Amino acid sequence: MKVRINPDKCIACTTCVAHCPVARVTPKFLGPRMIGPAYERFRLLALAEDESLTYCANCKNCDITCPQGVPVSSINMLARAEQARKQGTTLRDWVLAHGELQAKLLQIIPASLKNFGMLNPVTRYVLDQLGIDKRAPLPAFAKKTFRQAFKKIDQGSHSRKVVFFPGCYVDVYDPQTGLDMVWAFNKAGYEVISPDEFGCCGLPMIANGFWEDGKKRANNNLAELAKWREQGITVVTGCPSCALIFRDDIPEFYPELVEKHGLGRLEDAQDFLMECVERGELDLGGIRNDTEQPIVYHAPCHLRAQGNGLPGMELLKRLPGIKPVNANAGCCGISGSYGFKKEKYDIAQEVGSELFDIVRKNPCKYASSECGTCRVQIEHGSGKKAIHPVSILRMRMEGKTDPVVDEL
Amino acid sequence: MSRKTDVVIAGSGPAGLMAAYMAARKNCKVRVISEGMGCLAIGGGYVDLLGYSEAGKRVEKPFEALKNLSESHPYSIIGDENIRKSLADLCECLKNQGLEMAPAKDADGAERNSLVPTILGTLKPTWLVPADLEGDIFEKAQKILVVSVQGFRDCKPALIISQLRRYASWKDKEFDPLVIPGPFAEHGRALNALDLARAAEREEGRKWLSQNLGNRGKNHDLVLMPPLCGSHAASTLRREMRNIIGCPIFEMLAVPPAVLGLRLRDAFLRELWKMDVEFFENSRVLRANVKDGQCVSVVAEASGREIEHVAKTFVVATGGTLSGGTILEQGKAREGIFGLDIKVPENVDDWTKPELLGDHIVTRLGVKVDGNMQALDENGKPCLENVYFAGRTLGGYVWTREKSGLGVAYASGWLAGRLAAEKVLGTGAAI
Repeated sequence: MKVRINPDKCIACTTCVAHCPVARVTPKFLGPRMIGPAYERFRLLALAEDESLTYCANCKNCDITCPQGVPVSSINMLARAEQARKQGTTLRDWVLAHGELQAKLLQIIPASLKNFGMLNPVTRYVLDQLGIDKRAPLPAFAKKTFRQAFKKIDQGSHSRKVVFFPGCYVDVYDPQTGLDMVWAFNKAGYEVISPDEFGCCGLPMIANGFWEDGKKRANNNLAELAKWREQGITVVTGCPSCALIFRDDIPEFYPELVEKHGLGRLEDAQDFLMECVERGELDLGGIRNDTEQPIVYHAPCHLRAQGNGLPGMELLKRLPGIKPVNANAGCCGISGSYGFKKEKYDIAQEVGSELFDIVRKNPCKYASSECGTCRVQIEHGSGKKAIHPVSILRMRMEGKTDPVVDEL
Repeated sequence: MSRKTDVVIAGSGPAGLMAAYMAARKNCKVRVISEGMGCLAIGGGYVDLLGYSEAGKRVEKPFEALKNLSESHPYSIIGDENIRKSLADLCECLKNQGLEMAPAKDADGAERNSLVPTILGTLKPTWLVPADLEGDIFEKAQKILVVSVQGFRDCKPALIISQLRRYASWKDKEFDPLVIPGPFAEHGRALNALDLARAAEREEGRKWLSQNLGNRGKNHDLVLMPPLCGSHAASTLRREMRNIIGCPIFEMLAVPPAVLGLRLRDAFLRELWKMDVEFFENSRVLRANVKDGQCVSVVAEASGREIEHVAKTFVVATGGTLSGGTILEQGKAREGIFGLDIKVPENVDDWTKPELLGDHIVTRLGVKVDGNMQALDENGKPCLENVYFAGRTLGGYVWTREKSGLGVAYASGWLAGRLAAEKVLGTGAAI
């Protein structure tokens, strides 16, 4: 690995240890300070790796809380890549890291069959043997992908343009959120472009040790982003993890790609919509239905790591009748594919238990969060449906109190 | 896009949180921008006010000793009355969340410092301690049980006992050590106090503590234990443990991660959430836009880009040299956001002394302010009309030696937050 991060900025203060959600629930994990900067000194001397490295969920609470600006999670991800290179990776981790590819390969099979194939007890047993916990809330394939559904939308004509990066969760499992996003941008007077060239952001690969696969995705995505940058059209995403990897991880991990294509940034779609509201492009004043509706909002860790506050929560606050309450319960536990893993499932549930409890006890019918897998985890843990803030925006702008469902 | 609010607070340590609490209580819209979590995760949860005079003499009654501090000391600038009010508001904030703290009292009712034991067996002069602690418990207790947990390497009863015996007031006491088994079947790391405090909060954890400590104190006057009784402000475990153990208990100040500090942070955050204070985490305030002595906005780093935060007033609670509140360069020192020059001796060798926690110039470095917590220029005139400084950004005190760190943080944060809010309210309605 060419990239190295100097561990010596760490002053061993243990603030990260106090805020690590995994260390909180399991004493088996060495904890961020030890497995990150402290162990990095051994790694630099080519000494052994500690096996509890796999417990790091890459949630980035260590980075958020570090008073010295040490990118602890990045140190861990680099170490994981090195470990994967030396010791190989498992089939289970490959499966979890390459959801997008599998969806592509299975594209011609109808969703109902795919879901029967993937989610029936026999397959779940086999997956469980492979290391994907049979209790884990594997999301179901949507009838159509976002890309397929997007092509059929009549957006009308708009003078302004915005590019939308759906991310693979929205594309494969949750096209409705993508459609709500397009609806909202259209309302604000933007034509939405969503190029097929965009692929998975690469985070599932990096987090599972598939360094080179992550690099390939970064290369393709950066090349596409460069095109839109040259045209001066903003690229947005509703997924905090996709946004974060382009801002922090790719420049840090693959500097040669940034040199080649320039920086590629995904802007926060909720932030962009807030700006539309401020500029008067998106009129929330027209909402006539102001039925009071409580919503518990969960801030994804990868959003908190961006230093941009909580634009999705701010957007919810602007909606007449919506009374969002920030759960303020920390990490939901899922961290992408982490909580699906057999040896991590219980940890993930325990990490999220405070959040589940808050959602369950609140009189709300819906919870809300920007991150797709956070929503999966909230639904699994609390039994209540979780929807994207922009889906709530659309719901209320359309005068409804339940989410809009488009025909696919 | 710029993001408007009433009061921007840079820093989420004790000074920043206290300032946010005061400004939010005055109904201002408050935004806290923080890089890292501040020192409460690693600092103490009992509040020191003034443990030693500037000359190094131990202080029993801080409010008497404050009068003797030099003019440039933050306490002298803030003033007795404000300090008292700030501590009262702090206690109220904590009490709202179930954490009751108060200074110890003499037999005649006069408030004074407590000399509280740490898990290193030292005694630290401290102002706010748990409110139900009997004022003279440390003097009175003769038979003392010192408890620790197997696998918790930072806390060794034998060490604590031998260290405490060095003090004349503790020399003749009778000590018993007790190491109880840990709560975990297996663990991959050396246990810390936070691991144990969190374990104790669970149902099995309570059982673990009851089984191992139940009635163990009935022949003792006092049990000294590491901070095991929960990591949350509202935990009732400490009160329960007293009954379970059968005698008064005291949770000793411990090394990081700091359970006691986290309880304080927990209380603050819950109060601030109630008042809808906004948090921009993982963001470093880089610089400010100043026009005619007024700060218009601050620019903060947010994962690879800059965000401009527009506000009416600003509180700077970014810490000292270690936290980047003060920037040191060869032969120069400046405040981190506004670039205010901080006077230092030209020869860098003069900045430090051989003694680790000694009276280093580098520890005294900080912004010079007036009684409004506003920075003074070289002519002694306030130079930023709507900016207030708090906590370790201030110069003129040596918290390590004086044991005045949290006290200065809360008192200055209180004043800065209050003044920042009053200025907003004075210049028209809050947002």
